[in-house]
Amino acid sequence: MDDIRTALAILAILIGTGFSLIGVIGFIRLPDVYTRLHATGKVSVFGVVLLLVAAALITPVGAGRAAVLILLLIIGGPTASHALTAAAWRAGIKPRGTIRDDLERDHPREP
Amino acid sequence: MGYVWTILAVTAAYLALTGNLAVNNILVGVLIASVIALLLRPTRSPVELRRVPRSLLALLQYGALLAYDIIRSGLNVARIVLDPKLPIRPGILAVPSECETDLGIALSSHALSVTPGEIVVGVDQEGTLYIHCLDASHAADTIGEAQALRRRLLSRILE
Repeated sequence: MDDIRTALAILAILIGTGFSLIGVIGFIRLPDVYTRLHATGKVSVFGVVLLLVAAALITPVGAGRAAVLILLLIIGGPTASHALTAAAWRAGIKPRGTIRDDLERDHPREP
Repeated sequence: MGYVWTILAVTAAYLALTGNLAVNNILVGVLIASVIALLLRPTRSPVELRRVPRSLLALLQYGALLAYDIIRSGLNVARIVLDPKLPIRPGILAVPSECETDLGIALSSHALSVTPGEIVVGVDQEGTLYIHCLDASHAADTIGEAQALRRRLLSRILE
């Protein structure tokens, strides 16, 4: 039983670290604020959730505590990325290389 | 009634965090939850008591749908980021939320923002969501469909 638990935890750590790494690579490679937030805000949250699952499996953190933390992360992560994109848009940062921009079409910013 | 739900939810979170189900600890949890509930404005509960079982079932379905979306689009974004050619076609799309309540709009935009590849940039007065997508070329239809499915589940949870 302990072996299965450890194996699952190692798998979760490997995949979680992989996704965190992909988040950082995306942050470096993508061109502007909006696209970069896709990589850091979401893919990294996914990674951290898997690391928490691993922590719940093999450390004395406990499933309940991990569940509350995962819930808070899943609520807080998207809220933070939304707040950052909204702030970037209000600050007048234009998305780069867009193929369409309905927000600019419907609600043009003051010059 | 508004207070009762807040107290129950905060107490449950407290017990999960402390991991201790002794009577003393439960009493402390209820005390802390009551103080927090008094600091908040009392709100009308969005769910009637007799509809709780149906709402819970719809909530579980909603959670499963959300988890599936997060994993699927997480892998998709990972593939885009690791591709040497970086095949992104970013754009901001307008998608009507078609939700009447503020809570419905908030939950829809959360569901959209939590899936990688889409971030809600803003909401206008009519409840139209403006979504920044990594691949906007054929995202409009899929997002519209996913939003219709979510809206049906949300209306079963909230009404």
